[in-house]
Formats: sequence, structure tokens, C-alpha cells
Amino acid sequence: MADGPDPDVAREAIEYCYEQGWTDGLPVVPVSQALLDRFLAQTNRSPDEVLWRMEHLERECTVQTAAINAAMAGCLPEHFPVVLAAWDAVMRDRAAKGGGWQSTSGPAPLIIVNGPIRHDLGFNCTGGIFAAGFRPNATIPRALGLMLRNAFGVVPHVFDQTTQGIPGRWAICFGENEEESPWEPLATEMGLEPGANAVSCTLTRTYEFVDNRHTQNPEHLLNDFADTISRTGVMIFRAQSAGIVFCPEHAQMLSDAGFSKADVKDWLVEHCGRVEADLRRAGKDAVSEGGFGGRSASDEERVPGDTFTPFLPGRQSVPIVVAGARNAAISMVFRVFGEWSNSSVEIEPANAAVAAGNGG
Amino acid sequence: MICSDAFRATGDAMADIQGAPGYRYLTTPHPVAGLTPAQVRERAEAVAGEVAALLTGDSG
Repeated sequence: MADGPDPDVAREAIEYCYEQGWTDGLPVVPVSQALLDRFLAQTNRSPDEVLWRMEHLERECTVQTAAINAAMAGCLPEHFPVVLAAWDAVMRDRAAKGGGWQSTSGPAPLIIVNGPIRHDLGFNCTGGIFAAGFRPNATIPRALGLMLRNAFGVVPHVFDQTTQGIPGRWAICFGENEEESPWEPLATEMGLEPGANAVSCTLTRTYEFVDNRHTQNPEHLLNDFADTISRTGVMIFRAQSAGIVFCPEHAQMLSDAGFSKADVKDWLVEHCGRVEADLRRAGKDAVSEGGFGGRSASDEERVPGDTFTPFLPGRQSVPIVVAGARNAAISMVFRVFGEWSNSSVEIEPANAAVAAGNGG
Repeated sequence: MICSDAFRATGDAMADIQGAPGYRYLTTPHPVAGLTPAQVRERAEAVAGEVAALLTGDSG
């Protein structure tokens, strides 16, 4: 260790960051001007550009503030364009723009990366996508969390009004397993050129697995997903949105049976929902279209118990992505917090800033 | 302004950030979301006197 960095100095700097209230509970990387400059050299965007302003909090986040927080989160400089794209992508969510970051539900950003950059930067796309172990997967979502905390002052118990929150709230980021997906990549589906480096992001609530290694019948499999998507506990409003991170095996099984991604969405839109009697048992029958929906109907509002209430308004409410390993037939249902923008954001080319002379 | 008492910390912090530290507002017991219209009326009646006092500057 004699020739390496002095661990006591490093610890002192880390503790300084704790004392300033800059951390999310885990140690952050202390940021020097030289390190910040390396991050800013990765983008052509001005350090002073305001990424977002929360008017009611009178706080804003600039490109430079984002870079500081990305560095503190443990990102490498070359991860920074992905952080910027992830932020831009999630802020296309109506809920994120409308106070979702301070919601009592404590929604988690789900960050999905497409394109060759997955391999260039070492994103995990296969085994353990929801687990730890890969730097860009772990640090890029953490950067968003630190931006919320340090740029906007959204800290727990005050402006962050989270009741319990989502496990892994600032840790959900992975590359799509494009190589083993039978369908077009998410970003291509969203209209970007095939092969584009892109980020898709939305605020999410629950993550719940569907383990089905039991059938070769695609409709049986889809019924298993529909059962998870249709549970009453997640219902607040009548219109909902639920997505699926398909493991390769489930996706391939459906594709082999002739299901396109759109076919899967259409099937789920038709079948996900509950009859009024089920909703009545949970006190959620006759859910109103407009107001807060979590209320029990009065007697005059009651409708026949076998009336089916579909939960998913349309294809746009069912984001589908393929990721994870071929190890087993286990997929993940996730609940979109509000309404996904159904769009992907292209990542700024890594060498564009350097080529333009902004590389420093 | 009236908010449910679970959000007092957030309310106080918003007052600070808007340049009005110590801003006086009223609370009603949390939760509110699941109340029936009749229960909401009861809440309103319970807090009405405080609303009047706050608006007229008669803090009692």
C-alpha cells in the first residue's frame, strides 16, 4: 500500500461528504475539479445548462451539478452521457414532471439501455440484472438519486414524502438482452434507428416475479402474467400501466408461438383486470375515472358483480423489454408509477465532445 | 392552508423555502383519503373555529 493512495486521506474526504449531507447513506466518491472536468468533457452540453427546475422548491439541476453527483455516485466519466440521457428520458414522464419525485409512494426510476454502448461500457444485460455487481448498472441510477437529493433538496422525511418506497429505488438499471430477444429492441420499437445507443426510463412501483417453467402453452403463460398484473392491491385509479421484463426463455416461447411484442400487449390489454365482485371485496369497486379512485362505491353506484373492469387502457400501457439470463423461466412484472412516455432518448456519442474540441 | 398532520415536516420546510418561516397553517388528523363525505364534513366542522381564528388574526 506504500505506493498507493492514502486510505486515511480518502476516508477523511468521504467523511467530509457525509458531514455535508451529500450522501444517500453509502460512501460517495469525493470530487475534485479535475475529475469534474473529465465528466464535463464527455458532453457538448454547457455546464450551465439547466436540466430541470422545480419551481415550487426554487431549486434546479445544471449539467455541472449532474456531473458532480454522477462522479460522487461512482460513475466513470464515460457514463455521464448515459446519466444525462436517463434524466432526460425520465423527465418525459408526466408523473416525474408533476411531483412524482416527492410522492408518498417513493417511485423508482427504471433505466433501460439499448445499443452497442451496453457492451462498450459493460452494462449487465443478462444474469442478475436486478442484482448488484456491475458498475454502470449500479452507479448510473444512484447518480439520479443523488441529483434529487443534492440539487433539488429532495431528502427523506422532508421534501421526499415516501411512505416506504421501493426496494432498490436508486439501483434499477440494465441493458436489454438484445442478443437473445426474439423481438426488436425497445428503443427501435420507440422509433429510433436500429442500433442506436439509447435510454428509456420511467418511474415505477412494484417489481414482482413470475416463475413459470411449467407449461409450453403460451396462453397459460400469459394467464400467469395477467394474474400478477391484475392484483387489486396495486389499483389506485382505473387506468393503470404494467410492464414486463421478460427473461429470454419466456420471450422466445411466446415468439415461437407466433406472438409479436404487439400481440403480447394486445392479449394482456384484453385479459388483465378484475370483475366488480373482486374489487368490491377489496373496497375498490366502482372506481371513479376522474378523482382519487381508492374508494368503495356507495350502494347506488354498485354495478353487477360479474362486470369486468379492464386495467390496461392500451398497448402504450404495457412496456415490454427482454433482459436476464437463459438460466430459468423467470420474468419480472413491474408497475409503472404514472404513465410512461413511450419514447427513448438517444445517448450523446461518447467522443462527440472531444471531437468538437470540448474535450479538455 | 390545511393539511393532514402527517405532512407537517414538509409543510414547515416549504414555508422556509418560500421565505415564510413559521408560516401558520392548520392540520387535520391523517389520513384523509379514505373518508366519506360525511366524515369530511365532520372534519370541517372540527377545524372551522381555528380557520376563523387564523383568518381574523385571533389566535386565542
